[in-house]
Amino acid sequence: MNDSFKPKILAFLCNWCSYAGADLAGVSRIQYPPSIRVVRTMCSGRVDPLFVIEALKDGFDGVFIGGCHLGDCHYQDGNVYTLKRMDMLAQLLDISGIGRNRMHLRWASAAEAQTFADYITEVTEVITTMGPFDKTRYSLQLAALERGLTSPRLRWLVGIDRQVTERENVYHEKTDPEQFKKVLQNAMETEYQKALIYELLNQGPVTVKEMSEKSGLPVYTISLRLNDLERGGLAALSGCEGRTPKFVSAAA
Amino acid sequence: MFQETIREAGLNPYLFEFANIRDQNSWVHQHNPEAATRKAKDLVRMAVAKASLLEPIEPLQIEVNPNALVIGGGVAGMSAALNLADQGFKTFLVEREGQLGGHALHIKETWNSENVGSFLEEYKNQVQAHKNIEVLIGSEITDISGFVGNFTTFVKTGDMEREIQHGAVILATGGKAFEPDEYLYGQSERVSKWHEIDDLFEKEPEKLAQTQGVAFIQCVGSREPDRPYCSKVCCTASVKSAILLKEKKPDLRVYILYRDLRTFGLREALYQKARSLGVIFIRYTVDEKPIVQKNGDHGLLITVMDHILQRPIQIPIDYLNLATAIIPTEGQKQIARMLKVPLNDNGFYLEAHIKLRPVDFSTDGVFVCGLAHYPKPIEESIAQAQAAAGRAAGLLVQKTIDIEPIVSMVDEEKCIGCGLCESSCSFGAIRLKKVEGKGFRAENYSALCKGCGVCAAACPQRAIDMKHFREQQIRAAIHAGGTA
Repeated sequence: MNDSFKPKILAFLCNWCSYAGADLAGVSRIQYPPSIRVVRTMCSGRVDPLFVIEALKDGFDGVFIGGCHLGDCHYQDGNVYTLKRMDMLAQLLDISGIGRNRMHLRWASAAEAQTFADYITEVTEVITTMGPFDKTRYSLQLAALERGLTSPRLRWLVGIDRQVTERENVYHEKTDPEQFKKVLQNAMETEYQKALIYELLNQGPVTVKEMSEKSGLPVYTISLRLNDLERGGLAALSGCEGRTPKFVSAAA
Repeated sequence: MFQETIREAGLNPYLFEFANIRDQNSWVHQHNPEAATRKAKDLVRMAVAKASLLEPIEPLQIEVNPNALVIGGGVAGMSAALNLADQGFKTFLVEREGQLGGHALHIKETWNSENVGSFLEEYKNQVQAHKNIEVLIGSEITDISGFVGNFTTFVKTGDMEREIQHGAVILATGGKAFEPDEYLYGQSERVSKWHEIDDLFEKEPEKLAQTQGVAFIQCVGSREPDRPYCSKVCCTASVKSAILLKEKKPDLRVYILYRDLRTFGLREALYQKARSLGVIFIRYTVDEKPIVQKNGDHGLLITVMDHILQRPIQIPIDYLNLATAIIPTEGQKQIARMLKVPLNDNGFYLEAHIKLRPVDFSTDGVFVCGLAHYPKPIEESIAQAQAAAGRAAGLLVQKTIDIEPIVSMVDEEKCIGCGLCESSCSFGAIRLKKVEGKGFRAENYSALCKGCGVCAAACPQRAIDMKHFREQQIRAAIHAGGTA
């Protein structure tokens, strides 16, 4: 590990709790590492997981999201949505190989100045140990994550969670949370895989075997996802190499 | 403070962005001046990047209709209506039943022996005679739409429907007694609940003369998994009934079977009086509930574990009165849905903040009081109703109100009407509306929007953006900070 590596971490702080907590740390002269660069939002619920990917693409080594404690959100339950979204993002980061520890979600109230400073210290240490984030090495994965997190399917599922598990769906039925979790997990995997394959297709005509090698996904999985993409008009056959078909991305 | 300065300089106050290089930089990195300077430069770059994309935002002003609507004509509703009417606000009072009074109609006396009947008569007369109150009895709310300062409500009375415009709503929809299916309730005429036992002996005093024993069971349906809360007033009510019975017939055996006796505050005096009159208190636990059986034709037999003897005892009685849980009325769910106000796990209305905003809802312009909020004694209903009226008056007295304009904006071209935004908003500030030929599209109710941005981050089509916290502004700040 490079001893002189100092990470640069983007910190989304919600106006009412974490940002105020950070201000209080300042007034109290509580010291913490100078790693974060703050973007203030009114609520942590404003933070789209896509912003986290943007940060990693733009050269940050990690992202910190600060919100109010559950039950204390200034907007009632904005932070519950933050939690659900960042849970999904953490799983996607793991699936992509980037790892969930590039993103950290913490709750800190306006009064918890020391806690805020401790979190920044802790997260800075974790990311220092991980080393600089190589956005070039992970450019394919970042592009796939961006595509996946833009997909209406994932955005819909993570958003409708509370409605169908806590309240009811349009048929007045309640969904079992464990079952919903499995549906979301499956959707995450397939949407990420589709996104990854699309990015590979974008790079030029490629065979299924080549895609399997580049992505690490088994050939059968590639086949299934490719089929989905073709049906969605996002992938097309682009000729053959002998008897092996090659595919490219297509405009939807 | 800075926004004020800018406003005075003639610039729109939203054309301002703050780079926090002191509280969040120089003061917290005192041992790291070089790193702090680098961070300061980055923070300034980020602020400049966002500021270069800021747009002027005009404040939102909405007019306030000074009328009030009170839903529910019980003691709480009447108190709120009288309070508002006395302050000069025209108030519509809507009551579902054929008369005003609500649950107080069943109560003879308060715990403090104040006569409820005469109080109610007096109150009803005041309400009906008041020039600022219009009473609609036998009436139901069929629809409420709009937002703070601008509500439109349809009320149905018999065959007639009426449209009312008002600026605030007070919910006083009341509660009711839970009907249990244990202890032979509904299976024996000898088992009653709440004030039914008082009514019985008032109507048929000869029955009391023939009665040897009366028992009360507390916490029926309360403090159990389905309804984990305490209904607050039932211990007092049963002790009061027990005292009245003993005073009418001193040699009557009276038992109160309880889990915890909650004759709180000054009501302790009632408990002591009941004890001195010879009422027998037996404590049972929730895992060893009393068993009630029919005792031939002429009574009931209760088997209960006595907490002092530590042995089961059998008590033959003539009548059993149950203190059942107080639960919300059926109409509550529908009203909550119409007004987009939340209910808690027990079905009662959920206030904005238990300490700081106890009669408000997160949705502006709607207030709550009485049993609809939680079980409470009559004097508490009156106090809470006056609080709700006070809050409503504070709103209604203004000709216009200012809304912080950092609100959401829907791009109707991108929106496909999926409704996720409506589902995510706790304030009813973004809702689907029918659009000819397109199905549904989201519509902003900016007066209600608090600017949290949850809808913007949720939208599957990325069709929603937030004023002053626009996606492009946030991305520009991220980009400036990352690539520095």
